[in-house]
Amino acid sequence: MDKNIISDLDNFPEEDKQRMSTMADQLQIRDSLRMYNSLVEKCFKECVNTFYRKSMTKQEETCVLRCAQKYLRLSMQVGLRFSDLNQGSSTTDK
Amino acid sequence: MASNISPSAFDKEQIFGMAEKEMEYRVELFNKMTQTCFNKCVDNRYKESELNMGENSCIDRCVSKYWHVTNLIGQLLGSGKPAM
Repeated sequence: MDKNIISDLDNFPEEDKQRMSTMADQLQIRDSLRMYNSLVEKCFKECVNTFYRKSMTKQEETCVLRCAQKYLRLSMQVGLRFSDLNQGSSTTDK
Repeated sequence: MASNISPSAFDKEQIFGMAEKEMEYRVELFNKMTQTCFNKCVDNRYKESELNMGENSCIDRCVSKYWHVTNLIGQLLGSGKPAM
């Protein structure tokens, strides 16, 4: 968030801080649900390709779990790098 | 806006609107970056659930380049120059 907005917030009464906090919470809930949906779609597309039976095979199930776990780990790592970039610290090339 | 003076109702609404849009933009940017880097960096055979060394290196570089591209295009659009 811009420093201007943050400094303006300091002058706000408590109810406005509450409003900002509510807005952020709602955004987080929406984002979590969106991530859940896109993760299901992504891993289903990657891992489920045959439809001889309606039940999942062990291989499909394992694939889905690995797909999801990799995504969550990647998301965490991107989050760390994203924070670095937002704070303007220079990243050394690897 | 002067400090120690409560902002007017109109200013408050503008600030809240701007703050909300900025939050949404950052979340969207993060999501797009994550999805893009997942598609480019992760081996889709899913042999294990951990990210391997190659994937980890790729992710770091992918984020850095994605950020760079975001800035490049932002500057291009912001400069008002028409696209070639």
